[in-house]
Amino acid sequence: MTTETLLQRAGELLAPFAKGANNPETNRLDVQIAASDLPTAASALMNASWGYLAAITGMDLGTEANELEALYHFCEGAAVTTLRIHLPREGCPEIPSISDQIPAASFFERELGEMLGVTVVGTPDPTRLFLPDDWPVGIYPMRQDFKQEQAAAVEPDKTPERGWAGNKFIVPIGPQHPALKEPGHFEFSVDGEIITGARMRLGYVHRGIEKATEARNWIQNLYLLERICGICSHTHTSAYSQGVEKLAQVEVPERALAIRELVAGLERIHSHLLWLGVAAHEAGFDTLFMYSWRDRETVMNLLEELTGNRVNYSICVLGGVKHDIGAQHSVSIHKALDYLEERIRYYLDVATTDSGFLQRTRGIGMMSLEEAKRFGTLGPVARASGVKRDVRLDAPYGAYKRYPVSIITDDRGDMEARFVVRMKELLVTCFTIRTIVDNMPGGGIVTRFPRKIPAGETVSRVEAPRGEAFYYIKSGGGESPTRLKIRTPSICNWTSVLNKAVGHQLADVPMLIAGMDPCFSCNDRMVTVRRKSDSNTMTWSELREYGIKKYGPRK
Amino acid sequence: MNFPQNYVSQLMEKITTWARINSPWAIHFNSGSCNGCDIEILATLTPRYDIERFGIKLRGSPRHADVLICTGPVTRQARERLLRTYEQMPEPKFVVVVGSCGISGGVFQGCYNVVGHINEVLPVDAFIPGCPPRPEAIIDGIVKLLAHIQRGTRPALVIKPGVQEAA
Repeated sequence: MTTETLLQRAGELLAPFAKGANNPETNRLDVQIAASDLPTAASALMNASWGYLAAITGMDLGTEANELEALYHFCEGAAVTTLRIHLPREGCPEIPSISDQIPAASFFERELGEMLGVTVVGTPDPTRLFLPDDWPVGIYPMRQDFKQEQAAAVEPDKTPERGWAGNKFIVPIGPQHPALKEPGHFEFSVDGEIITGARMRLGYVHRGIEKATEARNWIQNLYLLERICGICSHTHTSAYSQGVEKLAQVEVPERALAIRELVAGLERIHSHLLWLGVAAHEAGFDTLFMYSWRDRETVMNLLEELTGNRVNYSICVLGGVKHDIGAQHSVSIHKALDYLEERIRYYLDVATTDSGFLQRTRGIGMMSLEEAKRFGTLGPVARASGVKRDVRLDAPYGAYKRYPVSIITDDRGDMEARFVVRMKELLVTCFTIRTIVDNMPGGGIVTRFPRKIPAGETVSRVEAPRGEAFYYIKSGGGESPTRLKIRTPSICNWTSVLNKAVGHQLADVPMLIAGMDPCFSCNDRMVTVRRKSDSNTMTWSELREYGIKKYGPRK
Repeated sequence: MNFPQNYVSQLMEKITTWARINSPWAIHFNSGSCNGCDIEILATLTPRYDIERFGIKLRGSPRHADVLICTGPVTRQARERLLRTYEQMPEPKFVVVVGSCGISGGVFQGCYNVVGHINEVLPVDAFIPGCPPRPEAIIDGIVKLLAHIQRGTRPALVIKPGVQEAA
């Protein structure tokens, strides 16, 4: 179906609830609806299998308008349908939950509640996801009149929390844990070795980047957003520049777009090889970890040669790219890819034949096509369950029209399939990079870019190594954005991991978490074993005293 | 034979220092980093840079570690966990900060959920600048710290008011 027919279909489905509709861009449809109609409107889209919920953007329209706005973005192919809901700013704004139809909405709703102070009625878990425990109640950072002084630390609520797991034994994991390379906090309730329930707390690396963008200008934001994630830094700069260029109506040279896709390809190789190593490490296969990281240095060298930096490449600038690619680079790229392709084939072989490794991957974390769609998974996790979802094909951006990629899917849906999909994706990426290098368009690499961006709003989507990254950018016509919403793929994939963990052995948890390639710094943008006031909890000094008493004073 | 009174304790001291600089075990804590420094630390441990040739090993538990490698600015939620990780380490313990954010807050200065840099929470022995620092720089920073330990000195500590005094 073409984008026009998709949008037309969405318009028909939403017509009974629409209080107004318009097409702000050719691939977008905005529909104003009342808050009370939200669950039925979302069901109408879901029942007709129209797309998936990509993000919920909460916006404060300011004290003058005295309104909040919640935007529910649904994506199908290149089409983006947005349900716009106006809410009163004063008092207690309420919006019904849609997480029983769309489980993935639960995290977005938690974010909407804590950041903007909207009560989501009926959401399964209204506790904090990102904000710290000592954050005062009733202070919402994404409100426009928020001031840092309002957020002085308060004593966290220490009342014992009961009930989510009943009398089950809870195993806390994180924030500092050998299986986690980044801080996150999980609680698994277990019956013996079998997991019966799971929940998660993020926010250890939440820095408040979305709010910070509003205080920086368009160019400064490029460097701030690059540091959302050190692994997929190019994804964020390219998604941001693409959106801002659309708003400013600046045509980016073909050659610059080709270089962006080239660097995105190299980034995908570095990210997937990194993941392969970490996932192998979680499975106890450290030899593979060391091998894949050794080979990853090949692509790190390339990135350094092309951009001058190993990690935050900063190759994107607004209106183009910073460095050109010459003949000497194409020689080294081909040479490096020759080596990498051989190694990737070997890893594909190891991941599908090593019997010890297969015991940790085959049949673990099974997710069917229906489940993968229902949980709203993205990227290689979705494709390993047979979901054909890839922004590079669905909505080709940048140079992807010129240098298309082929999609890799697998219908087995277990951990092994996730390994296979990622390794095959690498081979496709190597092929695309070679095509780009051999058929580089001529011309300049950068155009002039205005300091102020005309008022307007846009949606920018790119395919990160982990799945779709979604940017909503709103400009008020000034030197900095009015609102920038970032939704990264990891947060969409968490729902599936937490749900699929139930029924597995506790020992499979590191593999399940590694299987989705989580990136905490992206989605935060966490043990304290829960502070219960019962007598089993000891402070550090109490524990020390207890130890001294028990073993006697040091001799 | 007539040994000086504290001969045994001096000998023990020498042996422990020798052991310590030949196998400093490290623990890594990310208190709000973007992952950039973390992947470079991991790259330092893997075959190309192979920091294990200095006996350096990454441990899972702070109770086994001598060196705390910190990355990122300190977020409000991670602050207490960072302190707790530090408190669990046995004495003597050393703190190494990797990356610009841990040194000054970097690009995240002024964000509502960021407390500040590592030195506002912990006493720091070595700073490794860069965004992110190259693996060679990380090795250099750690080797400099080891040289200090060998000489029996500590890098001058900058202790801010309110920061725990290192023992």
